[in-house]
Amino acid sequence: MPGILTSVTIKNGSPSMSSREVLGMARRIADQTGDQVAAALVGADVSSLTPELAASGADVVYLSESEFLTEFQAKVYLKVFQDIGEVAQPHTILFPADAIGMDLAPRLAYRLGAGLVTDCVDFAIRDGRCIFIKPVYGGKALAHLRVTTPVALATVRPRTQEPFPADTRRIPERVIVAPQIESIPREATVTDRIEEEGEEVNLEDAKVVISGGRGMGSSEAFRQLKKLAKILGGAVGASRTAVDAGWMPPSHQVGQTGKIVAPDVYFAVGISGSSQHIAGMGGSKIIVAINRDPEAPILRIANLGVIEDYRNVLPALIDEFSKILKN
Amino acid sequence: MHIVVCIKQILDPEIPPRNFQVDQAAKKVIPGDAALVINPFDANAIEIALQLKDRQKYCTVTALTLGGEPCGKALRHALAMGCDEAIWLKDAFFEGLDSAATAKVIARGIQKVGQIDLVLCGRQAGDWDMGQIGSLIAEELSLTCISVVSQVDVENDRLRLQREVEKGVEIVATDMPALATITSSSANQPRYATTKGIVLASRRKIPVWSAQDLGIAENLARLVVVENLTVPNYERQIQIIDGEDGPVKGTRLAQVLAAMKVLK
Repeated sequence: MPGILTSVTIKNGSPSMSSREVLGMARRIADQTGDQVAAALVGADVSSLTPELAASGADVVYLSESEFLTEFQAKVYLKVFQDIGEVAQPHTILFPADAIGMDLAPRLAYRLGAGLVTDCVDFAIRDGRCIFIKPVYGGKALAHLRVTTPVALATVRPRTQEPFPADTRRIPERVIVAPQIESIPREATVTDRIEEEGEEVNLEDAKVVISGGRGMGSSEAFRQLKKLAKILGGAVGASRTAVDAGWMPPSHQVGQTGKIVAPDVYFAVGISGSSQHIAGMGGSKIIVAINRDPEAPILRIANLGVIEDYRNVLPALIDEFSKILKN
Repeated sequence: MHIVVCIKQILDPEIPPRNFQVDQAAKKVIPGDAALVINPFDANAIEIALQLKDRQKYCTVTALTLGGEPCGKALRHALAMGCDEAIWLKDAFFEGLDSAATAKVIARGIQKVGQIDLVLCGRQAGDWDMGQIGSLIAEELSLTCISVVSQVDVENDRLRLQREVEKGVEIVATDMPALATITSSSANQPRYATTKGIVLASRRKIPVWSAQDLGIAENLARLVVVENLTVPNYERQIQIIDGEDGPVKGTRLAQVLAAMKVLK
């Protein structure tokens, strides 16, 4: 039965959180359309993840395994997805909007002659088909987009969907699609990897994000944010102006042109709140703004506000949190 | 080597929400008098191309855009920054194209430019944030595509690209011709146009290529259509934490958050 196929990104040996969120979205679409939900499980030695995908909402798991799939190579993965598509015949293919999804989805759409909507945050069902909703103009507008081709592709913004509550009783149908990839030449070779040091918590996965902006004034000031992040088990972000000033590396930038985050709690310290920044963090559950300017736009979208120079607030905030969390 | 940089003129992403208006019937944004700028990632791509030109003995950089009337300004700015040539794909036929059709037209434009070694595109445009044009052009032209690149170098006739990944960077080697989508980094901040550059660019005649020039006769299918365009309201009811001084406010903030049980 044709249905919805979702792509699974494997991170540290498990399906990534974003992949489980996409499965959750597929399940919610299927609840309204009566479709089947399938997951494409692609990689080397990944078959043991099948039950986990079933628990997360997959009725069918298409498994394509090969040692040639250890490392992500777009052309090789594209061929595997085309092959799975031929067997599964889905009418909708969903990817997490992560690095792999953003790389694969447009190229797969091209090869299938299908339309693609990227970075969806929501959906609506009309006439049995999905209308994808995505923020445009830095979140200043929401576009409702319909794909006109028989197959529709979409990438889904991380942390906008709830994963399906795990149901370990579900037994999936497993379909093995043998990869035909030995003859595909590699597009490019990775000759070196330079890992950034520190930062134990990944910004995009963090439950608490503490970001600093132009108001921080210096890179040293970010030390206090790091201290607070450590106490709360969170990650440190930065506005574009703080990154442009060289106070934090670009990988910490939150915003339309940086990382999109949606933690349980977002601290915006010395951040006025440009629309490009709000586009990256507006989906946070609780937003706390610390700013000395009572007119700062961030205060219009914050749940809690402290109108004060952060220098006078942070030491007491850190002290009090240390005390509270000790008890 | 010959580099083509694809650029797009967009509404300044930094305009405040109050100056942003939508025509819901037409499902379009009303530009009003808001400033138009080169998409910031495209400006980073121009900078990378110009840095390569600075280092290479023989290197030509062509800026290419697709769009209506105000887009000529973006091309003049690219010339003023130091690009050698500019090509404008302009035709009423090209209005309201989706990403797939846009990529098809741009790919034809690049083919008409001739032998090229490298195509650079911004990783996404700051208006519709689709982030698919670069990959689609690469597919149209059967080029290798490397996404989210912050630096490009040429070493022994091969490209050496720095690609941003989740935790740090990867150095990727590939043959030419290839396409890279560019992200911003401290190393590719766009240079300013010089006064001399601006004067010279203003005098240049920019070639305009129509659908006919590109040999596009067929109607371009729309694979994605806009059903609706709405303006969301993100505003929340704010609770201001008060107190006689900063430390008191800081202490209270911690207590309020603890009481909300949102920090686990």
